[in-house]
Amino acid sequence: MSKYSMIENGAETNKIKKFFQKDFSQFIVFAIPMIFIGIFLLYPMAITLIRAFWAPAEYTFKFTGWSLEGFRTFFGTKLYLRALVNSIIVSLSVTILCILIGVPMGYCVARVKIPGKKLLVSLGILPIIMPSFVGAYTWVILLGNKGIVRTALNFILKPFGVTLPSIYGMFGMILCMTLTYYPFVFQMAYGAFSGANALLEESAMLMGAGKARIMRTITLPLIIPSLGAAALLVFVRAIGNFGIPAVIGGNNYVLPTLIKFAYGGAGDINLASSIAVINVIITGLVLYIQKYIVNRHEYETISASHTDIKQHESLGAKIFAIILCLIVLIFSLLPQLTIIVMSFFKRWTGLLPSDFTWTNYANIFKKSSHELFNSFFLSIVATIMCAIFGSILAYITERKRPKGSALLDLSIMAPFILPGTVVSIALLSAFGGNGLMKLTGTYLILIISYMIRRTPYVYRSVAANLTQLNPSLEEASTISGATWFYTFRRVSVPLILPSIISGSVMTLTTLLQELSTTILLYGPRTRTVPIQIFNAVNENDLGRASALSTVLLIVVFAIIYTMNSRKGTDLSSSMKM
Amino acid sequence: MSKNVRYENVNKIFGLGTKNEVHALKDISFTINEGELFCLLGPSGCGKTTLLRNTAGLDTITSGKMYYGDVDISTIPPYKRNIGMVFQSYALYPHMSIFENVAYGLRVRKVPNDVVTRKVTEVMELVGLQEELKRNPSPTALSGGQQQRVAIARALVYDPDVLLLDEPLANLDAKLRRYMRAEIRRIQKATNITTIFVTHDQEEAMAVGDRLAVLRKGVVEQIGTSDELYNQPKNAFVANFIGKMNFFNSHVVSTNKEETVVEIDTAGIRVAIKAEKRHVEPNVGDEVLIGGRPEYLAVSAESSENSIPGQVKIIQHLGSFIRYEVEINKSISPVTLEIDMDSLQKDIHEGDMVNVTFDTSRVALFSPEGREL
Repeated sequence: MSKYSMIENGAETNKIKKFFQKDFSQFIVFAIPMIFIGIFLLYPMAITLIRAFWAPAEYTFKFTGWSLEGFRTFFGTKLYLRALVNSIIVSLSVTILCILIGVPMGYCVARVKIPGKKLLVSLGILPIIMPSFVGAYTWVILLGNKGIVRTALNFILKPFGVTLPSIYGMFGMILCMTLTYYPFVFQMAYGAFSGANALLEESAMLMGAGKARIMRTITLPLIIPSLGAAALLVFVRAIGNFGIPAVIGGNNYVLPTLIKFAYGGAGDINLASSIAVINVIITGLVLYIQKYIVNRHEYETISASHTDIKQHESLGAKIFAIILCLIVLIFSLLPQLTIIVMSFFKRWTGLLPSDFTWTNYANIFKKSSHELFNSFFLSIVATIMCAIFGSILAYITERKRPKGSALLDLSIMAPFILPGTVVSIALLSAFGGNGLMKLTGTYLILIISYMIRRTPYVYRSVAANLTQLNPSLEEASTISGATWFYTFRRVSVPLILPSIISGSVMTLTTLLQELSTTILLYGPRTRTVPIQIFNAVNENDLGRASALSTVLLIVVFAIIYTMNSRKGTDLSSSMKM
Repeated sequence: MSKNVRYENVNKIFGLGTKNEVHALKDISFTINEGELFCLLGPSGCGKTTLLRNTAGLDTITSGKMYYGDVDISTIPPYKRNIGMVFQSYALYPHMSIFENVAYGLRVRKVPNDVVTRKVTEVMELVGLQEELKRNPSPTALSGGQQQRVAIARALVYDPDVLLLDEPLANLDAKLRRYMRAEIRRIQKATNITTIFVTHDQEEAMAVGDRLAVLRKGVVEQIGTSDELYNQPKNAFVANFIGKMNFFNSHVVSTNKEETVVEIDTAGIRVAIKAEKRHVEPNVGDEVLIGGRPEYLAVSAESSENSIPGQVKIIQHLGSFIRYEVEINKSISPVTLEIDMDSLQKDIHEGDMVNVTFDTSRVALFSPEGREL
């Protein structure tokens, strides 16, 4: 052992010398986002957890004494328990339905020889980039008591003795969320089915396996990991969705609307915190189950060469594929069409809209210019910050791999999985009252909440890019004599720029339509367009809501379209988890 | 200006103090001379790449010292070491033109524009890419061999003290590889920059290097010229790694200052080996190995005195010679012998029983340790 201890002594003196010769630029760059995460993410989360065990509060943030009252109220009140059950039923149903729609559709587009595949894939991504609560109220128009789609469907279903349930309630929520979130599964399934190694299926065929057996034993098992990821994404989105239940939930509360009710209605931040904690536990549990299932099905790609996948060419398969895709696309894009039509009319109560008018648009400039400014200002500032922090954080976890980088990764990704209302409650708990600082009603708290929730887009997209980037590119720069910062600026950033851009586009487009976080944090000065749309819907001013929504749709679509026409940018990498 | 590179008791331990401690470099001490083209050779996992990365500063050694000339660079960060390095993957920047790739190190050094242009042009001429530089495409538009040249130019352009090449030819096809290794030698001799060339291919190392170091499990087994390593290998490992060596299990019968007499196990054949061919301190009764290169062995259909019987497994025509793979009694040699003959033996076919003889003046004596690669 004497030889070893000598070596260690040598290492000691080396360390001291190394410390003084180190290039400190990277530590300064790394410290800022880490401090941000500490103050605005970890601290609020901790405070929320503590508040969950405080006695009920009435419009106060002060300490009210320790108590389990919040949880007792939750589990002792029918309304609250009902909301929990509703949340679970809705999220699970939506997840299962999304898989049932998304996987076959992904298979059809990937493996059946049909025209217009690229268009189908682009149309198939639209529902997630459009505000989901906007879609919800259009279903009220279409599937309401006298709605045109209800009338048509009831006519078709009449011979079977079936009538559609009311759009207000569980049926409506599940329908809207499924049509909004199936693209996650569809995009994933399309990617997995078209990217699969054809040789695996061909070798199974040569060994005598039939089509059904290949599907069951080779094709499907290989997509389980990505299917699991997509299913989780759908579940967390569904359980965290505020807009759809708020618009068409009727008397059926779910956890996000319940949190809003507890804080906004009863003014009890501590009760809201208790609900938030319960919500976090459920999401965590689902995440754990998903990881457990997926980990048992994680495979390394063994083959080196890839051949093109064979596609079904029979007429029957083509017709089936086209009909399936058309039905799904028409249903999921109907809301967007409805909004555009509605924005030119005063009302739409019967089968068709009535009273054509331009005033909806004229009113935007009169009544919404401040909200438009707010939306763009907040979204753009937050996106820029997300892009900077997200890429630095991805660089830290991917390249530097410090001790506890898994924990860092988890804390960055947590707000992505958690419902927006939970993040808002956490920020309110920490900065609502006379705590560290009072931020309620400011632009700052909205920007911070946006940053916390959306940094994962850039973070994930850049991290995925970095894993594919050979570290020797950066090493070559260091060898050439460049300091860390020079290398980061001239080599790393230009190479990860495409992923920064695609992550930022996702961030910007989703922030422009952000509702679930904003609804708890906005003040009179900081109202955004989605808030105004939400209020207009509640006041039944559908014309105004539609005109504003159409403006949002056009802006979001223009951003996505510009970005898709650029080469080398890929939206899907920022959606993965 | 070129400098020599000196290692003094260099140790590298990965995961020091953890369960998975790996002692990758063990007390490495040697010197690479100024302007020398030096090869680090060894099987995968021998520590050659670790030694190169530590020489570059991309990893830091656990203990010991490394010098460029008189300067202790053990703790100097890589960007202050003034070295050039060519990576196995070339690591060319896809977002820059080949000119900007090559100019990178000069830009870092804030060299004025006109000097950058002149230096890049010069170095591109040296590596034979002057035509490509005129079009100045992205490196992704170049062939593998051209990318390799850009990578070399990029490492040379700022006159580094030391040039490091990490398996630079591994991604090229066999023919291009042979051509490029001659090119690398030409370029190195033209610039006279001290160069360390890492490879696992002994043929490549012998063709390129002025001197070679053979590494095994983090230890330098032998350093010398290609000729020294081939003709005077210090042990069975080096003998079998630099070219092929056939071994016969033997034991020492008698030994004195001039020669050692050994007897091949079971066969009962006695061989006298001169002192200068002994690479082990023999004692009477010791287990030893007699080693003979394929060209010093012969096969024949007829039996003769001191021949070992065996069966021909495979006959390979390899151009200038014919290789016979012969299986003999497993207790003498557990692996098949490789025997190279100048011409095809008309009376010997695959599957035939033959007799193996060897030139007793050309065989050497080794310790049994390290016979397996």
